[in-house]
Amino acid sequence: MIVPRPYNLIAELTYRCPLRCAYCSNPLDYAGVREGLDAKEWARVFRQAAELGVLHVGLTGGEPCVREDLAEIVAAAAEAELYIHLVTAGTHLDADGLDALVDAGLRSVQLSLQDVEPEPADRLAGGAFFERKLAFAAWVRARDLPLTLNVVLHRGNLERTRDAVELAARLGAHRVELANVQLHGWALRNREALLPGRAQLEAASQAVREARRDHPKLQIVFVLPDHFSDRPKPCMGGWGRKNAVVAPDGLVLPCHGARALPLEFWSAREHAFGVCWSDAPGMNAYRGETWMRDPCRTCPERERDFGGCRCQAFALAGDAAEADPACALAPAHDVVLAARRRADAAGEAPGLVYRGDR
Amino acid sequence: MSQGRAAFEARLQDVLERRYHDKHPFNLRMHQGLLSREEIQTWVRQRYYYQTRIPLKDSVILTKSGDPAFRREWVQRIHDHDGRAPGEGGLEKWLRLAETVGLDRGDVESLAGVLPAVRDACDDYVRLVEERDLLEAVASSLTEMGAHRIMRVRLAAFEKHYPWVDEEGLAYFRSRVSQAARDSEWGLAWVLENAATGEEQDRCVAALEKKCEILWRLLDAVELAHRKPRIASAAQLRNDPKDGALTAVLPERAVRLNESGREILEACDGERTADAVARELAARHPEVPGVEPDVHTFLGEMERLGVVESRR
Repeated sequence: MIVPRPYNLIAELTYRCPLRCAYCSNPLDYAGVREGLDAKEWARVFRQAAELGVLHVGLTGGEPCVREDLAEIVAAAAEAELYIHLVTAGTHLDADGLDALVDAGLRSVQLSLQDVEPEPADRLAGGAFFERKLAFAAWVRARDLPLTLNVVLHRGNLERTRDAVELAARLGAHRVELANVQLHGWALRNREALLPGRAQLEAASQAVREARRDHPKLQIVFVLPDHFSDRPKPCMGGWGRKNAVVAPDGLVLPCHGARALPLEFWSAREHAFGVCWSDAPGMNAYRGETWMRDPCRTCPERERDFGGCRCQAFALAGDAAEADPACALAPAHDVVLAARRRADAAGEAPGLVYRGDR
Repeated sequence: MSQGRAAFEARLQDVLERRYHDKHPFNLRMHQGLLSREEIQTWVRQRYYYQTRIPLKDSVILTKSGDPAFRREWVQRIHDHDGRAPGEGGLEKWLRLAETVGLDRGDVESLAGVLPAVRDACDDYVRLVEERDLLEAVASSLTEMGAHRIMRVRLAAFEKHYPWVDEEGLAYFRSRVSQAARDSEWGLAWVLENAATGEEQDRCVAALEKKCEILWRLLDAVELAHRKPRIASAAQLRNDPKDGALTAVLPERAVRLNESGREILEACDGERTADAVARELAARHPEVPGVEPDVHTFLGEMERLGVVESRR
């Protein structure tokens, strides 16, 4: 097999986070994962990734800013000539801390917002964070860094979709990602509370069309949730194809969620990054097309969607090699249809299970 | 419902009142004396392409009429533009204007530096006349009703603010004051006479609006050519670690560039205008056709992708 060149490295520096979002994409057992890589080891990973062709690094977590050695890690990524993007909740860093990162080579920032108003935002995140996030956004723009706002949309906040765009415009963001909740990790445990109904989604889609007309310069990303699209997404741009995730313990993965699958991945603490990327059995399990079954195997869409999401197939169909149940052609699509019917019929939303609650 | 002639004429006047390019920011600055010599040059060089399309669209209009009286009148416009002999006519006068503002006559005539957006706008005008019927074609020419007014303002502005443009250079504007007044008077009377139904009147109003939009787009393109592009602060320019290709890395994407792209971006220092960059590259590669429009297209695409940002 020809091993593709990775372009983007997602560096999960830690799973620690002051927020307790009920849709966190970290694994359910995150607390048991050791934070293994120190700044020097990250520097080695960055060097090796850059040699392989990686251009971007996204520093994420958990909350990457809880790491005391973050400026050192940023400097190491800059040393490897990577484009450094920080994905943060914006609650942990003050203006001086941000300056230190900029001096070290930080290029751009993605800030997560749980909602556009303090009360529901803080309820979802499990603490009073909203006002600090807005202050952080202003610091980012004052330093002329490109700012992306990421707002996770779900049943509880979809009606404020338009407000989210207006807030992004006010904050001077160049891009806003209106990310409909994906049902992985903690979100799957909260499916009944988070999954929106069809009418809600249609209203939000209309709001996005109007917002695009009114803000032609703002990049507005809005993607229907898998449960309503009937087509699978090209998850991560294909398994082990363009994007590599390195977890806090050094495990090299094709995506944030793949460690939950019964596969063998290797750690960048024990092997060179390139070896973990190209040779680990787990990385090769779903690379390319040879693993595909019907209907994916002969489907003309496979070159575009790469068969969709393996983690979703595992979670909903019980087998990661099955077609993504989000696809209308998948044998297990019934599971998705049933969830959709429940969401359309749902009355009062159940209470949330927060990240960290068992 | 057809409206009375007066009401119909008022609608046409209203289109000009709202949309004629005398209100375009570029023309406002021209008439206030705020344009640089370089901006005047760009405008003269680009607008020449529009001038060359005028006799073409008038020839198309001739083919649409079966009426000898109409053709006798309309053919006069072609004579006005092309002259009765070499060295005469509006096109020749425009080239004299080009020379007085410091342009190379041969370069202007070659149309080598016509901006893609200017070409699109002017070609849209010829296409409009080709595709629509005689009534709409004539109605679209009624921007001439605004032309004689704008020419008076322009003449005064040039005499006051741009004294380096000499009398010979202003001959085009002077001749248009009377020609446009005569032509628009005749054209307006013909349209008022021939648009009998409400539907025909509506089509005339729409055609005139479309023509105003075309003139506006031409000036948009000229203005855009004077923005000063530079590498966006969000972009990191680097060589690809695998094959050395120049690559612009942005928050959400990476853009690979070829050697021409590298040369253009290296010229984008935030001080030179897009027009100056395009001219410099064309001068550097005289053997390659179409450099200038290619540079403008490339810069537009780079701006869209976020690799380049501009200030005025």
